[in-house]
Amino acid sequence: MTEEWRLLLTGANTAANNMAIDRAVLVVNSEGKVPPTVRFYEWIPPAISIGYFQSLEEEVDLDMCDKHGVDYVRRITGGGAVFHEHELTYSIVIPESHKEIPKNIMDSYGRICGAIIKGLKNLEIESLYKPINDIISNGKKISGNAQTRKHKTVLQHGTVLMNVDVEKMFSVLKVPDEKIRDKLISDVKERVTSVKHVLKKDVPFEDAAEAMKKGFEEEFNIKLIEGELTEEEIQLAKKFEKEFFGSKEWNHKR
Amino acid sequence: MNSKSVYKVPNGKLLKINLNYNEKTKNIETVRITGDFFAYPEEAIELIEEELKNVRLEKNTLVEKIQSVINEHGLEFIGLNAEGLTEGILMCLK
Repeated sequence: MTEEWRLLLTGANTAANNMAIDRAVLVVNSEGKVPPTVRFYEWIPPAISIGYFQSLEEEVDLDMCDKHGVDYVRRITGGGAVFHEHELTYSIVIPESHKEIPKNIMDSYGRICGAIIKGLKNLEIESLYKPINDIISNGKKISGNAQTRKHKTVLQHGTVLMNVDVEKMFSVLKVPDEKIRDKLISDVKERVTSVKHVLKKDVPFEDAAEAMKKGFEEEFNIKLIEGELTEEEIQLAKKFEKEFFGSKEWNHKR
Repeated sequence: MNSKSVYKVPNGKLLKINLNYNEKTKNIETVRITGDFFAYPEEAIELIEEELKNVRLEKNTLVEKIQSVINEHGLEFIGLNAEGLTEGILMCLK
């Protein structure tokens, strides 16, 4: 019988709320109370997330964020700073011991990215996994991914770029040297692509989510059943939002 | 003495070091390790920062110290390793 996992469509949320939900699902799944879970979501207002090990003030222009109404948050996962605006964000939470999840961390990145690659293929976009944590299409990055393992549970979240505004992205990111800002912008334009750019048309979020849902089902030979956050997850997310992702102490800790 | 470095680890990620050290003894006072690498568990980075206090700024000493913390606690780095971290720290002296 085909294994059934939970699908969460939580819509658009604040940065702190989004990161709190991922962590809450991780904790509740680790206690065996909810099945492996795949979530698709968006960010309102647009936000920057930084990797766990990054320095907020070195990476992010906080004054410009305030000016443009851009949110910011520190993730529990490593990796780099990401500007989340026109994007489909996914997360997957699953026990480390699950037979579909390779024990080796790098192998498991590749496996989970396989679901996104199949999802992109369902949108008629060819792509491939580029270690350490990117998916590229026509040589350009279309998805970035980051994984953590806590309480013997895997959380991987990542992006599928639907469209990209490199100028806006750089307006809220710090650059090492203002004199090379224009050069950096043109470099990133060369290295980054998006669903819209590849297909030369806008794809509605719902269509992309449907394609990604099928991608996960194909990659892991499972069925995704749409569900809701449990009351415990909602309460835990509120607690995490207050204690971590919405707090100055957490976001400024490095 | 305070000094910073930015170091692209070969085949790895971008490492940024903020180092305070004693110029006379060449010992680390405090070191802050930031960047877009991955470490498992993540809290390991604070442990390494703590363990590097009072360690001499010398290549072999640093590599051995970092590697011993990695081994002792079963840590895993992706996009960074003991050699890369050592290189980034020593770059602060240049």
